[in-house]
Amino acid sequence: MTLTRRTLTRRIAIAAIAALILAPGAGVPRVAAQSPPPIKVGFSSAMTGPSAITGEGVKWAAQMLADEYNAKGGIMGRKIELYFGDNAGTPGEAVSAVRKLVDVDKVDVIIGQTHSGACLGALPIVKELAVPMVIEACSNPKIRELIGKTVNEWAFRVNPDDVMLANQFAKYMSRQAKTVSIFAQNDDFGRGAATAYDAAFKKVGIKLVSTEFFDRGQADYRPVLTRVKRAAPEGVLLVMLASEGSVFMRQFRELGLTQKLFARGSMATQEFLFQVKDTPAIADGLVEATYWTPALDPEWDKRWLERWKVPVRVHGSLAAIAFRYAVAPAIEQAIKKTGRADRKAIRDALEEIDIPNTPVGRIKFDETHQAFINMLIVEIKGGQLRLVETIPIQP
Amino acid sequence: MEDLLELAIHGLTLGALYAMVAAGLALMFGVVRLINFAHGEFYMLGGYAFWYAYRELGLPYPVAGLAATGILSAFGWAYEHTVIRTILARTWHVQLIATLATSITLTNLAILVFGTQPKEVPTALSSTILEVGGVRLAWQRLVVLGAAILIFAGLEWFVARSKMGKAMRAMSQNREACAVVGVDVQQVALATFAISAALAAAAAVLVSPLFNIFPDVGALLTLKAFAAVITGGFGYVRGAIAASFLIGITESLAAGYLSYAFKDAIAFVVMVIVLLVRPQGLFGRRIGI
Amino acid sequence: MRAARVTVAAAVLVAAPWIVAAIAPGVQRYVLHVLIFTSLYAALALSYDLVIGHVGNLSLAHPAFFGIGAYAAALLGTEARWPFPVSLLAAVAAAGLVALAIGVPMFRLTEHSFAMGTLGFAVVVQVIATNWVDFTRGPLCVTGIPKPALGSWRIATLPAFYWLGLAAVTLVGLFYHGLTTFRLGRAFHAVRDNETLAAAAAIDPLKYRMLAFVIGGALAGGIGTLYVSYVGVLCPGELAVSLTVNLLVMVFLGGVGSLRGVLVGAAAFTALPEILRMAPTWRMVIYGLLLLVVVIRWPDGVGGVLRRRASAS
Repeated sequence: MTLTRRTLTRRIAIAAIAALILAPGAGVPRVAAQSPPPIKVGFSSAMTGPSAITGEGVKWAAQMLADEYNAKGGIMGRKIELYFGDNAGTPGEAVSAVRKLVDVDKVDVIIGQTHSGACLGALPIVKELAVPMVIEACSNPKIRELIGKTVNEWAFRVNPDDVMLANQFAKYMSRQAKTVSIFAQNDDFGRGAATAYDAAFKKVGIKLVSTEFFDRGQADYRPVLTRVKRAAPEGVLLVMLASEGSVFMRQFRELGLTQKLFARGSMATQEFLFQVKDTPAIADGLVEATYWTPALDPEWDKRWLERWKVPVRVHGSLAAIAFRYAVAPAIEQAIKKTGRADRKAIRDALEEIDIPNTPVGRIKFDETHQAFINMLIVEIKGGQLRLVETIPIQP
Repeated sequence: MEDLLELAIHGLTLGALYAMVAAGLALMFGVVRLINFAHGEFYMLGGYAFWYAYRELGLPYPVAGLAATGILSAFGWAYEHTVIRTILARTWHVQLIATLATSITLTNLAILVFGTQPKEVPTALSSTILEVGGVRLAWQRLVVLGAAILIFAGLEWFVARSKMGKAMRAMSQNREACAVVGVDVQQVALATFAISAALAAAAAVLVSPLFNIFPDVGALLTLKAFAAVITGGFGYVRGAIAASFLIGITESLAAGYLSYAFKDAIAFVVMVIVLLVRPQGLFGRRIGI
Repeated sequence: MRAARVTVAAAVLVAAPWIVAAIAPGVQRYVLHVLIFTSLYAALALSYDLVIGHVGNLSLAHPAFFGIGAYAAALLGTEARWPFPVSLLAAVAAAGLVALAIGVPMFRLTEHSFAMGTLGFAVVVQVIATNWVDFTRGPLCVTGIPKPALGSWRIATLPAFYWLGLAAVTLVGLFYHGLTTFRLGRAFHAVRDNETLAAAAAIDPLKYRMLAFVIGGALAGGIGTLYVSYVGVLCPGELAVSLTVNLLVMVFLGGVGSLRGVLVGAAAFTALPEILRMAPTWRMVIYGLLLLVVVIRWPDGVGGVLRRRASAS
């Protein structure tokens, strides 16, 4: 009797552990090593947790990029090998993700961390481990003080934050509205934007009527829309992503609000238009300040849709910007100059590259390791996206 | 003044949503004394079933709605038959952990199967606006309220008049006696879970056209439904319904007049206050559902 | 015999940084990091088991105490520039005091109501941490949290943090062992297993429940301090309700109410995913199923299974 029970327990335990080992794995190298050694690129984002949708976008983009470059034989004949880290959107997990990518997967360069908390947690680690990290989307303005030649020479950032965009966008907004309410998601992106625009509005004479924050995943906006209706601003600045934006716009129209719409996030995107395809004109007139739009590379959107069966995700496009226009050219330059694509060579190359005419603008990292790409004003008109203006961001 | 009306009507929509979810929870606790931490997942799965039937298969709204409710009914039945039956006799710690484990499994399976992108299911009624007395609302909101009233009336009738309903009431009052007089305790439990799951699915069918569906949508709903069940007095279905409307309206008014950012805390603050002032719930500790 | 085994085990644990460097030099930093997280989570799980395993209060408020300690230490370290040992004490005290304040009203509630009440409290604390931006920085996070330092002695390297973590889990473990054995332990268990009988035996249930709750909460606050000193950044997401779910998995999989069981559970939950590389969502599905099966089939957890096998053989 005892013998049977022990055997049973052991068998179940073995089965469970086997299931854990054999179940689909992340981080499996996509290409077997060949004679010029592959270049190992790590993508770190929120693969689990409440923001898992962003990590999925980054992962899909990475897979498309690896295929794109490897089809051409890689970079200077060296294939791209992908590795993924999960930071769950928090600084603690970001530490784990970076350490795993560097010590276990032995990546040569990291693109990440998408969410500011994770970025902040990762920064000291990439410095300690001496691996270059290119930030593609973290928007906390404090990051600018924490990266750069003197502070942290291993970290770079491609994307602008709202402190960098606010003055220009506020100037644009002031032509169309004198009073504005801000409605922002309650995370680092939304809070950072709200603070930045609060300051910028003062400079251009816009009166900030009210600021409201909402938690992502809570699709019930009517009470706050009632508050906005009462405050009666001329314009509303939405700091939100397409997945919330579509539900928001339905309720906006349900209440009969007619304010001029401005946005920061991923409102003027194919993703948004897909979510509202039953009423495509629901957000006509909305104007968004962003740094990526399909018009810059229609092929990318098409390939994404073909492969993943859903419209392109903004966080995927942002990761692609970082890889295509900063990391890949840096790797190429490193190999040309030194024959190597190790961590230090890539870092040095990142510091030196100056590519004036990429689709997103000029890629050159200044002393604070920040690039200054273009700000795009994109409008939704007739249920379609229209690139209205391209404004280079001033340092 | 218009605002007040506006917020009150919105609060009723919220209240109806919480009430349909909380009623099932109260029913389960009342009849089998079990806290089901996976209840929000009934709502979530009901939402996905509805989305699939309505958007992917293109069935008309009422048909898709009934299909989703039926599927979840079967799922609730199966859930009782497999998981719940094994833990009914165990301590409430085991029950809580087991149902929580089910919740974790179902939520992550939903991510794997349906993906992280939220699904939207706008209907003709959710896009058509009715304007009355300066207040604008989608017709769907009236459907939610109307359907909720019908559902609760139906539930009342069922519990009061039908044979199974009477058995459920009896079991909620004295389980041992039921077994003695020959009530099939297993069947009653199965029916209870089937009905509770159907209620949650019905809520999803009615409300998701106004909002959206994503794998994690059940988590916060479970918590708020619990708050309502506790505030209304554990196991008392009418109490849970009343408390749900109280919480819905309070949440809407507080979000509209005080602070939108803190609105999710409202349900819990209400619950904690009621628990401290009247630990037996607003309507007293009643025996039976 | 037993003492010899314990000494060897202790020696191995203390010498771990060198052992790891010798066996696996390429990944030693990562392994040390995993060990640090494992020891902190193990200490946190033990502090939680004190509350739920030995006195039977199914509190869902633990992340709130972890968070209160973490924020207290983070803000005192960055804003007020208090020295680490003082911040640590303040964090422990703050968490303990809040536990005391909350415990008084909460313990008037029974069973399920208590669980939900503590859960409500945890949700409210997270909402405050996220939205009281002027005080906690909200989603913009507290940055630049200083490393632990005592005078000129700083803890800044991975091995140093590992020993700190090891010391923490050892201390909490000793505390746990002391509180749950002898007469105090028996009083706890009396309250857990049969409250009416305990009261009849002149063991005041409220006093013992409060004791476990406050000590557990205070310890959680201390561990929160160590955690933020290691990571250096604190965001409100770290005290989400999902932390409770993780702790429940650790404690119940490992074996609620058992020191060894909880340690096994914490180690399995933290370290295993790093060893077995698998897609995180699948991992969560399997954890859910495993937890379901284990809590039904082996309520003493994996730890209990191992114990019974050892005694049966």
